Amino acid sequence: MDDKDQTTPEEMFSFWMKSAMDFWQNMATVQPEAFTSFGFPGFADAREKTKKGPTRQARKSFEAGGKIFQSMMKTFSKPENLDAMMKGMDSVPDLATAMMKQALEGYHELQKQFMERAVKMGQQSKAYNFEDIDQDTFRAIRELYEKEFQKFLKVPSLGLTRFYQERFNEFVDKHNLFQTSLSEFLYMFYVPIEKTAAVMQEKLEEMAETGEIHDDFNQYYKIWIKILEGHYMTLLKSPEYTQVMDKTISSLVQYRDAKEAFICDLLQRLPIPTNREMDELYKEIYHLKKKVRALSKQAGGRPSPKKG
Amino acid sequence: MSEPKIAVDLILKKLTESTEKAKSRAQKASEVLLGPLETDLSTTPFEVVYEEDRMRVKYYRPEKVAHKYPLLIVYALINRETMLDLQPGRSVIQTFLDNGIEVYMIDWGYPTRKDQFLTIDDHVNMYMDNVVDFILGKHDLPHLNLMGICMGGAFSVMYSALHPEKIKNLVTTVTPTNFDTDTGLLHIWMRNTHAYDMGSAYGNMPGDLMNLGFLLLNPARLIIDKYIGFFEHIDNKDFVENFVRMEKWIFDSPDVPGATFRQFIVDCYQRNLLIQNKLELDGKRVDLKKITMPLLNIYGKFDHLVPPEACKHLTKNVGSKDIEDICLETGHIGIYVSSKCQRLFAPKIVAWLREREDTPKKPTRSRKKKTPSTRTAAEETASAAVPVQKSKAKKGKTTPTRSTGKSTKNNRGGR
Repeated sequence: MDDKDQTTPEEMFSFWMKSAMDFWQNMATVQPEAFTSFGFPGFADAREKTKKGPTRQARKSFEAGGKIFQSMMKTFSKPENLDAMMKGMDSVPDLATAMMKQALEGYHELQKQFMERAVKMGQQSKAYNFEDIDQDTFRAIRELYEKEFQKFLKVPSLGLTRFYQERFNEFVDKHNLFQTSLSEFLYMFYVPIEKTAAVMQEKLEEMAETGEIHDDFNQYYKIWIKILEGHYMTLLKSPEYTQVMDKTISSLVQYRDAKEAFICDLLQRLPIPTNREMDELYKEIYHLKKKVRALSKQAGGRPSPKKG
Repeated sequence: MSEPKIAVDLILKKLTESTEKAKSRAQKASEVLLGPLETDLSTTPFEVVYEEDRMRVKYYRPEKVAHKYPLLIVYALINRETMLDLQPGRSVIQTFLDNGIEVYMIDWGYPTRKDQFLTIDDHVNMYMDNVVDFILGKHDLPHLNLMGICMGGAFSVMYSALHPEKIKNLVTTVTPTNFDTDTGLLHIWMRNTHAYDMGSAYGNMPGDLMNLGFLLLNPARLIIDKYIGFFEHIDNKDFVENFVRMEKWIFDSPDVPGATFRQFIVDCYQRNLLIQNKLELDGKRVDLKKITMPLLNIYGKFDHLVPPEACKHLTKNVGSKDIEDICLETGHIGIYVSSKCQRLFAPKIVAWLREREDTPKKPTRSRKKKTPSTRTAAEETASAAVPVQKSKAKKGKTTPTRSTGKSTKNNRGGR
């Protein structure tokens, strides 16, 4: 194919610019009658009957807007500006590729860590010992989230709605972090069950060998629950558990705070008082009541029944 | 060939029997569960004589009043005071009434978001003080007997130290005052986590969340074994009724005002200020040496929430010489509801109060007087015109003793 027959992106954009300019030029000079046909009867009347008034002002604004757009388009149409813009657009696929690459790398890392975890799963954990709890998976997920995803939520927000956007991002971020901590916490509660099953199996083997098998299933349950209780007691006293519990509590508190801030933003648009507003009111009432009680005591008032 | 070690035939026989038993149990269970069940709590009649905000005071009047001084019971903010009147035959309140004691009991009610700013000071120096003043005014008495339970016991200790002139005798039951111990999981967790932040995050500390925490203290027993036990006895009407009553009580858990929760965790669990006489309520220091009235301190040997280590140090640190520690072989709730403790717990309190009924209360320096006393509380006690109590009998024999089931006096004479 001949190169001359090919349309370059610059030419295409220039052509589109020209069409847009022509369209808005026509719109800016359109006759008021045209507006009546679109269902704005007052628009034409206003021009005929009064030379002032809001309708005429709106029309003027529309015309001015059209002219601004036209001049903007003209500026863009200049070859040097068009070239610069096209170069900028060239970088869009690069940006998308970079983002995709990062996401894929993160996914690959997660896969790798899962594989490592899968290898470890075959290894037996010791009974009544919680120092070897495999928390790597959760750490990996959290690290992956913090390294690869959290930054997208931390991108600075701009413009009029920046604070709302920021609070929404914070809410999503804290929710994700809380879910991660909660998963780890719940996993810890599963570990004693896993360990008890292993111990029970060994115990049953021993009993079978020595011929101490009970014919009453209740006896097995009693053994199982005793072992389970022992495992839980060991776990609950361990510093590892306390640490995970603390992390879960802290992330829950942060999530609650972020959720509260986000909900406040939503409720502000509705005729409903937010918790924050009500708390301020409650605080004032609390202090007022305290003052009134103190004054009443000073004045020699005695507590009367059924104050209500 | 050796004989098989597993008696498969026996196991199969047992399995068949179990299946038949389960079938018959299920049949009976449906009759029990679908039939009428008596599961009401707190059935002893009472009258609400005082109300303030969410709090109210229940008044239980005996048929014949045999004690001059009424007893005010202060329950914890966690769970409800209905536990003291769980069911006929297992009611601490009923035992008190049968022995002629007029009982007032604080029902803290259900805090809402508007109560989140209430502090320990508000509970002790406002609500409790107003209730005490109301009762004293009603009976035209200078002081009354005070009994505290768990956290309510800690409040009672604080109150008695700040207003000793209004309290004739103090009874503390499963009351934590020393928080510097690792014997209870609750103490470990509260000291090493940011649990206190939950109060602020939720406004009030949700009762359900606290209950979840209590269940996690022993998940194998409280989440699994307890319900297995229930299904094993599901055909027993009495068992089911008792079980349901207990379930109703356990999960009837009001929220705790956020500020109080935070203060209790930080000042008590984490900083252990109460036993060190360093706790301050609204700028006033809680000095345990000001507790100069007779003190009976009861706790449970197998209490996993408030272990003996958290309770037993109180008597050593108060100013009173008439003190007694009793350690019962039971848990946190068993003290009040177990059939064994029905004979040991409330009757012991009745007898202890009766012994001190006619003992004149030694004069207490009014807190309103600003002149600081140069005498120690012990000196004041020694010089007061109080007959020598059993517990201050012989000097030199200072070894504190704890009874198991039976009461023993903790001899403080050598102090």
